[in-house]
Amino acid sequence: MIELQNIRKVFNEGRPNEYIALHDLSLTIAAHQVTVLKGPSGSGKTTLLSLLGCMARPTAGRIVLKGSEITSLPERFLTDIRRKTFGFIFQQFNLLGGISVIENVMLPAYPLGEPFAALKQQALGLLELFNLTHKAAAKVEWLSGGEAQRTAIARALVNHPEVIIADEPTAHLDTKLSREFMDIMRDFKAQGKTILIASHDPLVHESPVVDRVVRMRDGRIIDSGAI
Amino acid sequence: MIRSIEKHRNILDFTLSSLWRRRGKNLALLVVYTLVVFSLGSVMFFTEALKNEAAIILRNTPEIIVQRMAAGRHDLIPVAYAQKIIAIRGVEAVKDRLWGYYFDPIGRANYTIMVPEGMDLKDNELIVGAGISRVRQVFRGNAMLLRTYDGRPISFLIKGVLSPDSELISSDLMLVSRAGFRQLFGLAEDHATDLTVTVLNKKEIPTIAAKIVDAFPDTRAITRDEILRTYDAVFDWRGGIMIAILAGAVLAFLIFAWDKAAGLSAEEKREIGILKAIGWETADVLQMKFWEGMVVSLSSFFIGVILAYFHIFFGSATLFEPVLKGWAVLYPDFRLTPFISGYQLAILFFFTVIPYTVATIIPAWRAATIDPDVVMRF
Repeated sequence: MIELQNIRKVFNEGRPNEYIALHDLSLTIAAHQVTVLKGPSGSGKTTLLSLLGCMARPTAGRIVLKGSEITSLPERFLTDIRRKTFGFIFQQFNLLGGISVIENVMLPAYPLGEPFAALKQQALGLLELFNLTHKAAAKVEWLSGGEAQRTAIARALVNHPEVIIADEPTAHLDTKLSREFMDIMRDFKAQGKTILIASHDPLVHESPVVDRVVRMRDGRIIDSGAI
Repeated sequence: MIRSIEKHRNILDFTLSSLWRRRGKNLALLVVYTLVVFSLGSVMFFTEALKNEAAIILRNTPEIIVQRMAAGRHDLIPVAYAQKIIAIRGVEAVKDRLWGYYFDPIGRANYTIMVPEGMDLKDNELIVGAGISRVRQVFRGNAMLLRTYDGRPISFLIKGVLSPDSELISSDLMLVSRAGFRQLFGLAEDHATDLTVTVLNKKEIPTIAAKIVDAFPDTRAITRDEILRTYDAVFDWRGGIMIAILAGAVLAFLIFAWDKAAGLSAEEKREIGILKAIGWETADVLQMKFWEGMVVSLSSFFIGVILAYFHIFFGSATLFEPVLKGWAVLYPDFRLTPFISGYQLAILFFFTVIPYTVATIIPAWRAATIDPDVVMRF
């Protein structure tokens, strides 16, 4: 589904603080599977995840999504692909404070021009799925860790993405909530979604839901895992 | 099309909710912004309305006023000059005028005293302006004691008080009969304060004025245009003082606005990063920031303009009274005729809304063009 060809990512290129995050890396991600990027901090997991999710462009190399080369697309098209294809769950959840849970869930769909009433119905449906209906009008600051996590997942799903990308999703969760998260991922996989997770938490990469573990170190893939 | 409208609606909806989230900061900004628009608007409305009012009043002034000069100072003019002036081709009529200033030790102010044309006053009758009536507590039917040039008291009967409508220029005005005026100032029958000249063809005013000065080198001829220009200059000058004072306030506001609007906080930058990461385009973020700026600046602009309008036209410009109303010695208490031009509003808009909108958009654009992956590193 997603193919990375000789990807290199350099930050602050040509400056004294130049940093090579990814070295000449090639990888193919299969559809409808759960793939985990595993490695210590600074191994390049998050950078790779942001390239896979069209959030950043590689310094060199090509990214092919469903047979189309997307590396050279202008920002507008890349954004369009990002919001229609990918749903993101961030390490810190990155919910917007001061607004309600339901507004946070609807946020990614605002620029798509969905009628407000339909959008709200859809968001309520997602909140119901994650047992958050009673919290719809609550401000996100008032949520517990688990509720915040489920809100972030609901937000990732609002645009019906094919691919779910999660960056260290269990970093701030206890064991129970981490298991709950993996159960939700199992359901997504059953629905045919492709799931990409960056994590060094054994609860994640040792989970039976995971199809493939890609091991990384110092910006290189040291084991591309079994497919 | 409908999708596009829905999109704008959704973004505007989120913008309003965003503004409400930071209501403390935004309300402070709104108050300061409104205050600046209010102050600038008040000065502009006031000077323009005064100029407009003065122009209406001065429409009936004579085309040429002839004054005698002695050592560069205004002196009494012999009435006999009128005979020679009327002989100049193109002059329709010449009239002598009697007016002057009277210092009132009780009111501790100088009043303007003049003999009105076409008003039938008896020798001991007096009409006073509303300001004098207030200060001296004299009303129709009362007696008012004035002192002549040599200190003798004369009692005048108040025949009436001038209408408050004309208070802008009549607040400190006294109208007396010819005989009464001459008695007060000890003025001989063959002299007047100045002469007014009416001209048949308005285009000939400058030529006739030049001819008068030619015939009487000890006089000066003041045309109506010159008077209007002087009043314009006086009001512009007064307005200018206020603008100079306000310039400090405007500058402070711009710094404040720049700091509040331009200096995007780390929190706001993070939010822009999140929005981009979850699928907002740079243009969507800019649109949101544009709406944010517009909501704050347009609200302030309209509230400020409306407040300024009420302050000037219904509140008698209370806050600016000491500086702006120096026309009459006694502060007039009057209401200006509401007068606003599109030009004034455009100037006000240009100096308040545009800078703020630019101050909001540029930093937002800088933040919105960052790669969305930055948010992964928060």
